[in-house]
Formats: sequence, C-alpha cells, structure tokens
Amino acid sequence: MTVKAVQFNVNGRDEAVMARPIETLLSVLRDGLGLTSVKSGCAQGGCGACSVLVDGELRLACITPAEDVAGSEILTLEGLNETNSMAAIQESFVANYAAQCGFCTPGMLVAVTALMESNPKPSRDEIMEALSGNICRCTSYLPIVDAVESAAGELSGQGDD
Amino acid sequence: MAEYLQPETIAEAAGMIAEHGGELAIMAGGTRAMQFLVPYMPYIMGLRRLGLERVEKSDGEWSLGAAATLTQIQKEVPIAALRDAARQIGAVAIQNVATIGGNLFSHAPYGDAATVLLALDARVSIADGGGERSLSLGDFYADGVDSGALVTGIQFAEPKGEAVYLKCGRKRFNATTVITVAVHVEMDGGNVRAARIALGGASPHPMRCTAAEQALGGGALDAAVIEKAAAAASAASAPASDATASEWYRRRMVGVYVQKALSQLA
Ligand SMILES: Cc1cc2nc3c(=O)[nH]c(=O)nc-3n(C[C@H](O)[C@H](O)[C@H](O)COP(=O)(O)OP(=O)(O)OC[C@H]3O[C@@H](n4cnc5c(N)ncnc54)[C@H](O)[C@@H]3O)c2cc1C
Ligand code: FES
Ligand code: FES
Repeated sequence: MTVKAVQFNVNGRDEAVMARPIETLLSVLRDGLGLTSVKSGCAQGGCGACSVLVDGELRLACITPAEDVAGSEILTLEGLNETNSMAAIQESFVANYAAQCGFCTPGMLVAVTALMESNPKPSRDEIMEALSGNICRCTSYLPIVDAVESAAGELSGQGDD
Repeated sequence: MAEYLQPETIAEAAGMIAEHGGELAIMAGGTRAMQFLVPYMPYIMGLRRLGLERVEKSDGEWSLGAAATLTQIQKEVPIAALRDAARQIGAVAIQNVATIGGNLFSHAPYGDAATVLLALDARVSIADGGGERSLSLGDFYADGVDSGALVTGIQFAEPKGEAVYLKCGRKRFNATTVITVAVHVEMDGGNVRAARIALGGASPHPMRCTAAEQALGGGALDAAVIEKAAAAASAASAPASDATASEWYRRRMVGVYVQKALSQLA
C-alpha cells in the first residue's frame, strides 16, 4: 500500500500530510491535523457534520479523497473562527438557542458561510435549502434558521469585515 | 484498501478497465462510490484527470461531459426540467461533486437527473477496449448498465416542446426520492404531436413509459386523456418497497405525478 504525501493549504497554513490511497479528507484533517471541528457523523455524505470549504466551495470531507484536493485551499471552522462575521453568526446561534449538544454546529456554520458568500441576505427558504444537507438531531431546526436570518440581517447592515 | 488509479486519457482508462475487469470500479464524484465501492474493490479509477467536465451546446445539440457536476448543470444548462432535477439531488455539498454521469448508475429510487435525460431522448457515449460508441439512454438501460464501461458523455437535442420534471419526496428540500416523473410534450396546434414520459423510482432503473405515451394519442391534451396516461404509467411501474416508501405508495404516486406533470402542459 503506497502512502503518499499530499500538500494543501489549511486555514492559511501550508501543510504536507501522509495519506493512504483514497484516505478521506475527514480523516486527514481530524485525525492527522487535529482539526476536531470536522466531525464524523454519518461518514457517508448524509449529515453535513464534516462540512469544509475547498477553494471556497462547500464539500463533505467524509466523501472527499484527500489527494483529490491536493493544491487546494481548505477552510475548516477553526480557520473561519478568525473572522468577525463568524463571531456574529456564532453570537446569533447562542442568542437564538440554535445549538444544544453542538455536534452539528461546526458543519452548520461552515454551510452558512458558503451560503452568505454567494447570498448575503438569504430568505428563510434559501436558508432552509442551503442547510438541508446538515442534520441536527437536537434543535428542530427553526432556531437555526432564526439565528442565520438575524445574523445575515445584522451583517448585511454593517458591511463586510 | 483500494488502489487509486487516475488515468489521463480515455485510451489509458479503457486499458485499465480491460486489464482489471471486475476488480475495478469507476468513481466520479464519489457520492455513492466512496461508501459502496471504495471499501470493497481492489482498484478504483478516478475521472478527475480525464477532462470530462465540459458542458457545450452547438447546432442545437447539447453535450454534457460525464463528469460535469450537478452544480455545473444548474449554472450552465438553462433547461428548467434538468435544472430542477439537479437542484433536488441531495443538498449543495452533494451537488458540488455529484456528476451527471454518476447519476445514470444510481440504483432506484435514485437517478433523478437520468429520468429527465430519458424524457429528453438523450444518448450516451461509452468508451471501452473497442473504442468509443454511442447509444440511446433507453438502450443503455436495456443492455444492462453494470458492464463496467466508461461513460464519457451525454448528448441530447435542445427540447422542441416543453419539458416538466416533478419529484415526489417527503420534505421540500433534500428529500430522498419516492418517485420522479419527467415529461416532454410537443404540441401541434391543440394536438399532441409527440410525447415522452419517463419515470424514476418506478423500476430498478429510470424507464421510459411507452404505454403512457401511447395513451396520450394524438389529440387534445385534456383531462380525460391525461387520466388515461396516468393510469397507464401507474400500471406499468414495478417499484420496490424500502424505508422511504412502500411499493403500493410509489405506484400510486407515479399516477398522481404523471397527472400533475401533464396538467402543467395542458
Ligand atoms: C446524501 C445523499 C443524497 C442523495 N440524494 C439523491 C437524490 O435525491 N436523487 C438521486 O438521483 N441521487 C441521489 N444521491 C445519489 C448520488 O449522489 C447521485 O446519484 C449522483 O449523481 C452520483 O454521482 P457521482 O458522480 O457522485 O457518482 P459516484 O459515486 O462516483 O459513482 C456512482 C456509480 O456510477 C458509476 N459511474 C460514475 N461515473 C461513471 C462514468 N462516467 N462511467 C461509468 N460509470 C460511472 C460508479 O462506478 C458507481 O457505480 C444521493 C447521495 C447522497 C450521498
Ligand atoms: S460525516 Fe460527512 S456528511 Fe455525515
Ligand atoms: S445541536 Fe445537537 S445535533 Fe444539532
């Protein structure tokens, strides 16, 4: 079995990791680089807990072979935490009780980032569609939609960070 | 753990298929393959270096590379029926990698986009040891899709009539397929000139439903004729029961959704 060096940029840092053939990006980020915001929920593309951005596009790390994204810029919640807009979204999640156990929250926040990038002031329908790949078994979803709606309202009022 | 092969030309890919036969599986976006093939197959052949992502239209003929993603289809193909299907397959993160070629192979009840392609009378290009050939999507399913050959692209003519796609699911967004229906109808004055009706989730693969097409006849598209076509579609379907829906419910919904789809065109 040939283990290969894969290089990419993760949260602004160049990284070189050793990956087995078709080893998932989830395994490389979480177990290799210790980025524990990237969760393994279903490990089959069905829950969104492993959501990351690859060159700005929303991806599921559990069904992405690490070597397929060699050379890309990868952002996990750890990297997004550095931005003011993420702080505002997180505060809105807290204010709206949009997290209970918190397991789905990192994936939700990454998916919200992807949504707001292309659509800074989404409607409730657009929020629901954009988060429809993210499963939450605690909150019944409505507080999450409320949180995103109010964060989007606040952020689009004050401009970018 | 599988070996990951990444051919750079179609000839090289065909050679790998010929060499490894049943020990090799093709992986495009990987939304099914990562779960169902990678753990079990000795060789996985990725398509990322083959340049099969192009979407083009020339002389009224659409050509979709097999590895075009469902997100790409939504942006680049302004045919509402196909866009609607792509937009309702999983959610954004799935659509960003799932390919149109991979959708042809997804087992029932999946194959939502393939159902639309059947209604658009699409053709499929295939490469194997013997070179490239093309066949209708209907024949592709009739011949058995698990032959291991590489699908390189999909072609269809710009629709002459109107096409409608409807998905029956249990929620509004990212719904698992109960059944899907795609219809394409060309009218001549007030009369049906030509009709194609395709069903997804109604049999092991997406199917054209000629019984329903014939039931439409060549007259007006009125409520009575639509009712007949819907009943014919329901009778022709042989769906499976699973955790999402029973065989009985799926058969009922085929009729209901054929009726809804045709009524939009009446
Ligand atoms: C959460 C989730 C929800 C989903 N929801 C839907 C849904 O609502 N509707 C639906 O239709 N599907 C759905 N799917 C199934 C699947 O994502 C889609 O059918 C998708 O289009 C498959 O494309 P892919 O590129 O990811 O295929 P892959 O997973 O890469 O491959 C799928 C199959 O196709 C074969 N294959 C792929 N490309 C080629 C090629 N060019 N030539 C020959 N063989 C090939 C592979 O060998 C494999 O057998 C869902 C999947 C997930 C994980
Ligand atoms: S862990 Fe990746 S989608 Fe569930
Ligand atoms: S807060 Fe527990 S899964 Fe969403």
